Amino acid sequence: MSNEHVTEPEVNETQNVSPLDDFDTAETVSTAPVSDDSILDFDDDPLSATSVSKKSLVIFFLIDTSGSMKGKKMGELNTVMEELIPEIRRVGEADTEVKVAVLTFSTEVRWMYSTPIPIEDFEWARLRASGVTSMGAAFKELNHRMSRNSFLNSPSLSFAPVIFLMTDGYPSDDYKEGLRELQTNSWYKFGLKAALGIGQEANDNILAEFTGSKDTVVHAYSGGQLAQMIKIIAVTSSQIGSKSMTLSDDTNHELGEEDVFAAKQKLLGQQIQELVSTQTDGDDVPFDTGW
Amino acid sequence: MIMFNGFSHSVMGASHEKTNLVCQDSSAFKVGDHYAVAVVADGHGSKKHFRSHLGSKFAVEATIEAIDRFYEDREALEANLPTNHKLIIKNIEKQIISNWNMKVEKHLAENPVTDEEKSKFTPEEFEAIPPESYYGSTLVAGITGDNYTFGVQIGDGSFVAIFEDGRAVMPMEYNESAPANVTASVCNSNAASMFSSFYAPNRKLIAMYGSTDGLYTSFGSEHDFLDYHTIITSQLVNLDTFKEIIKNNLTKRSRFGTEDDISLSCIYNENLLKDRIDLVNKRVTENKKAAAERKAAMLEKKV
Repeated sequence: MSNEHVTEPEVNETQNVSPLDDFDTAETVSTAPVSDDSILDFDDDPLSATSVSKKSLVIFFLIDTSGSMKGKKMGELNTVMEELIPEIRRVGEADTEVKVAVLTFSTEVRWMYSTPIPIEDFEWARLRASGVTSMGAAFKELNHRMSRNSFLNSPSLSFAPVIFLMTDGYPSDDYKEGLRELQTNSWYKFGLKAALGIGQEANDNILAEFTGSKDTVVHAYSGGQLAQMIKIIAVTSSQIGSKSMTLSDDTNHELGEEDVFAAKQKLLGQQIQELVSTQTDGDDVPFDTGW
Repeated sequence: MIMFNGFSHSVMGASHEKTNLVCQDSSAFKVGDHYAVAVVADGHGSKKHFRSHLGSKFAVEATIEAIDRFYEDREALEANLPTNHKLIIKNIEKQIISNWNMKVEKHLAENPVTDEEKSKFTPEEFEAIPPESYYGSTLVAGITGDNYTFGVQIGDGSFVAIFEDGRAVMPMEYNESAPANVTASVCNSNAASMFSSFYAPNRKLIAMYGSTDGLYTSFGSEHDFLDYHTIITSQLVNLDTFKEIIKNNLTKRSRFGTEDDISLSCIYNENLLKDRIDLVNKRVTENKKAAAERKAAMLEKKV
């Protein structure tokens, strides 16, 4: 509460209502007791028809499905994403309901489902690649949907979203204009953002413009690395994103929500960089030579 | 003769149990002569609002006292409402804040801040906190008469109303909220101007509910939230036996949902409910079917 000050409240005593002296009321006043929580007998509960929702988090995947992704890149990405779903499910098992929304962009932008899907119900639809890289249009569509009136309309939504961009090339449209629109969105501002460049053509500077920091941008040059990086980013960002960080620091000073989100984004960058540095290249065949 | 009835209940959130906080919510209802009031309040519960469990109690009491005062001349009030509802509601809001501030001042005078309460702050930090803030709380209050309903709200929380057609609606217009929104509070210096309100004239109310945000956030969708209130309404004809089920359900929602405190307060028109119970039951069945259709549509792949 930044706008609290002590003042004498003003009460307008000149109502349009005149007091009635001999008013006869037969009234009942009841103040609610606080439950002792001792008995949880839910057997005959007609209210169980509406399920209880845990704190929820939406993970947005923005995936480049342009023609240059065709072949091994897209094949590997489909396989990794199918494998990833159970891992993300485990992240949410404790006390967070994770929902997933997948936006693909090529010549057109398309959502995999018409709304974010709870991870328990989510099934990956294998993607195909063709067309150009309309990244700016994807940013605009994301901006449009990241709203309480659209994809973020769940009452149980408790955390800022995770937004994960994957691309292998340079945008073919005006991505800066789309990004400018997206940057005005509060959910984007407070969301955890990470990006993965696939192969030599992906431009890390553009990806850093999207995430706001080079620490949250990683690069995969082979199928093995792609699998590793997607898992690192998706799992780490979901874990951090669904963490209830206290609004106070080590010295017990209260922090603003903006500070908490900034701390989460910083933590994500640190953890991604630590995990990436421990990965091995192995005998993987690079996308741009072998594939 | 209209017969209003009601219930209210508050449960403590699991997160507050873990941190040894007392329940920050308060709730109450009141049935008067030809009117009824449902109130809930949610104390902020953060560090500087260290007496907000009392602040929410004062907010509930302040509201009922303010409404009682305005209904001392019910006939005049109801005669003026259709043309002057904005001014009357504004005056009620001012009265509530005035009552709340008086309660806070009285409590603080009788119970000065203890050394233990101060110990959590540096002297500079403590000096910077306005005394009203110790007691900061939200407030949601709904009032109904023979053929009109209105509500006032400051901070988070929700109203659900079920009028004659048996459909559950949220009569207050809620604005887009984003992660860093600041919650309005009865302790704000300009609190009286921070209220939102609604007025629904010429409509008979079957039931109205006010709830703190712990209830709303325990639902995955707004449809489910509204359907929940329709189900409750369908069971109000057996309130005595249903009361325990509601209490248990609120406890379950707090424990397995967002772990926040939850308060729900309800007022309803017993005669109209009896008259429209078949319609309400029909809505419950319709809602269940619509929920199944929504789920099937949600799981349809688009690529």
